[in-house]
Amino acid sequence: MADAQDSARTILVAGGGIAGLSAAVEAAEAGFQVILVEREPYLGGRVARMNKYFPKLCPPQCGLEINFRRIRNNPLIQVMTMAEVEKIEGESGDFTVGIRVNPRYVNEKCTGCGKCSEAAQTSIPNFFDYGMSTVKAAYLPHEFAYPMRYVIAPQVIGTPEAQAIEAACEYGAVETDMAQKSVEVKAGAVIWAAGWTPYDISAIAYYGAGKYRNVVSNVVMERLASVNGPFKGIISRPSDGKAVKKIAFVQCAGSRDENHLAYCSSVCCLASLKQATYLLDQQADAEVSIFYIDIRALGRQEAFFEKVRQDERVRLVKGKPGEITEDPATGMVTVQVEDQQTGKTLREQFDLVVLAAGMAPATSQQKIPASGVVYDDFGFVVSKGQIPGIIGVGCDRRPADVSSTVQDATAAVLKAIQACRR
Amino acid sequence: MEPKNILLEMKDYIVEMGAETINWCMQCGLCTNLCPWRLVPGQTSEEFNIRHMQRLGQMGIEGFEDENILFACSTCGMCQNNCPRGVKIIDNVKAMRASIVGGGMVPAGLRPILGSCHANGNPWSGPRENRTKWQEGLDIPQFGPDTEYFLFVCCHSCYDPRSMKIAKSIATLLQKGGVSFGVIGVEENCCGESMRKVGDEELFQKLAGANIELFNAKGVKKIITTSPHCLWSFKNDYAQLGADWEVVHYTEILGKLIAEGKIAPVTKSGKKVSFHDPCYLGRHSGIYDAPRELLRSIPGIEVKELERSRELSLCCAGGGGRIWGEVPMGERFGELRVLDAVETGAEVLATACPYCVNMLTDACNSLNKQDVLEIRELSEVLVDSL
Repeated sequence: MADAQDSARTILVAGGGIAGLSAAVEAAEAGFQVILVEREPYLGGRVARMNKYFPKLCPPQCGLEINFRRIRNNPLIQVMTMAEVEKIEGESGDFTVGIRVNPRYVNEKCTGCGKCSEAAQTSIPNFFDYGMSTVKAAYLPHEFAYPMRYVIAPQVIGTPEAQAIEAACEYGAVETDMAQKSVEVKAGAVIWAAGWTPYDISAIAYYGAGKYRNVVSNVVMERLASVNGPFKGIISRPSDGKAVKKIAFVQCAGSRDENHLAYCSSVCCLASLKQATYLLDQQADAEVSIFYIDIRALGRQEAFFEKVRQDERVRLVKGKPGEITEDPATGMVTVQVEDQQTGKTLREQFDLVVLAAGMAPATSQQKIPASGVVYDDFGFVVSKGQIPGIIGVGCDRRPADVSSTVQDATAAVLKAIQACRR
Repeated sequence: MEPKNILLEMKDYIVEMGAETINWCMQCGLCTNLCPWRLVPGQTSEEFNIRHMQRLGQMGIEGFEDENILFACSTCGMCQNNCPRGVKIIDNVKAMRASIVGGGMVPAGLRPILGSCHANGNPWSGPRENRTKWQEGLDIPQFGPDTEYFLFVCCHSCYDPRSMKIAKSIATLLQKGGVSFGVIGVEENCCGESMRKVGDEELFQKLAGANIELFNAKGVKKIITTSPHCLWSFKNDYAQLGADWEVVHYTEILGKLIAEGKIAPVTKSGKKVSFHDPCYLGRHSGIYDAPRELLRSIPGIEVKELERSRELSLCCAGGGGRIWGEVPMGERFGELRVLDAVETGAEVLATACPYCVNMLTDACNSLNKQDVLEIRELSEVLVDSL
């Protein structure tokens, strides 16, 4: 690999979500070599798991597909999936990057025919649906996956089942003896686009997430509403699959809270308003309650907020809910809140409670493996005073929506090019 | 709506009395909804709203001084520990009470309590010389230069006949474990934790000042407390006044003794036991595991967690001066605790605080559940197992 590579013309992008994808295609289209490293077996990250996204509220597939086509058509981009950056050494303009590639057990001969999956017996939790559904131990990460290539779950490797899976492939694509490997590449700049994780809502003990099945996070709500999700897009209760009529959104679940994330995650208000429309669009008699401290619908999206607010089926209540409890017999969840505009305490049952979980940068949990990288108190990668040539982008830099992440990625590419030229 | 008079002097006075964070509140209402008063019916539940009370304090608007409101908070800390803005809600409650109590307006029910503290150094109207009465039948050493730990026994366990058993069992366990400890005795004063919480700052300063002088004069370096309230006060209130001791709750010491094999529980009871986390041990002091490990060290005991446990533990309603409050049956937090324990299938509800034992025993009796549920102090359960 290193022979064909000119470090001063190569940009390494860590993370293949919307930030990393955008950065990769922008850099390659400016004539730079790009190595795109993604931990999961597919590109698209959290965006691929969404039902719809701002600003046009279209499903993510078309936007992602455009990016995938730009990647396919650009020989300057090398994509490594199931791979993680392990170490970054050197300096701006001349980094050496160590990458660990985990075995997929399926090579590039895969046609996506699915025979391997038919041969598999074991079911495993489906990562793509946050474990709400299962997939076979030989699986396609999701139906629009890029690369369109199956994965064999490590759980079955070394069993007769793996042999059966290997035997079922007519193209010699399954390699059950594939091993983990480490590679080293040269790059002039590193764009860190590891993305974000939803705040662990089970840490907010009084909301009962993790204990009550019908208390879910906003990212799970995206799967509940997706046609390729666990309920084929009919928003249903995880406890019993019953269609949801009455829903509550609890804002600032972890955000703007000194005990959890002290900052505003900035996207959750609009995300909940958007998710409210998912239910309003599919249930004529839907009842939506949104409990908030204050609604932060920034920029151009004020009109969207107004539109949702005017729907008679939507009730906005200013107040931060206290305890959430569950009736184990019915699965109904009760939210208790003090309406700050009337001073009255409400206690109401809902089919489903969505906690608007805040955004934590991936770098709050897993740091960039280079010495001297500068973070703020919350784990976001700061720009000012940063090691030259290492550029944090998207949600690793601050909480952000998709469109500003895309813009951020483009800007990061310019910084990366400058680092390569230095 | 009637216009309300904003009293800027009152607002400033409350802040001056210690409500330094009262203006951090953004009125989200989480506190009100995590408050145990929401779990019971009745007049106090309807009238007392901690968010609203602080709002009145923020603006200096009258109305908070109503006894039912101002003295309702049991300082359990559920709201304070979860407040998104880090508002020191208990300090605010304390300051608002102090602004009234400091002016001589003490609720009638608290007058004899505070009076007894002034006169006898304890809130239970017990003569000073009876402070060591719990030691009868035991050979409890006097604290001196050769003793490592000073055992500070909560006034409740010095004077209340039921509670004396707690002091006895803790002392017995420490002796069995070979701990070098002693008691000072009649010169000791109440730690004053509850007195400060009800707003009698002057009394607290008097008690604390006398204790600090006494303990230091006796050469105290390390203290074991029987009550989590004394523990908290020594570690926090007294530290502010310059006290510099190593303070531990007895459950922490016993945990070590068991780990080292110096105490070996050998019971055959096989009872189902639930542990009620006292607010001042758990939420206020962060001690959750030590008492559970003690219970689990007893062979054959089955530990059943209550629905609300650890950080979410439900207050017994005995803190913040509430132990002296009169609450109608059906409105007592302790009743919910007892019902939860019975529902869980526990035969024993163990706890590690004399106030909790007091409140839970009352609740158990008022619900007439004493035949199915025993309220015990953890040390008593342990003594039985030796």
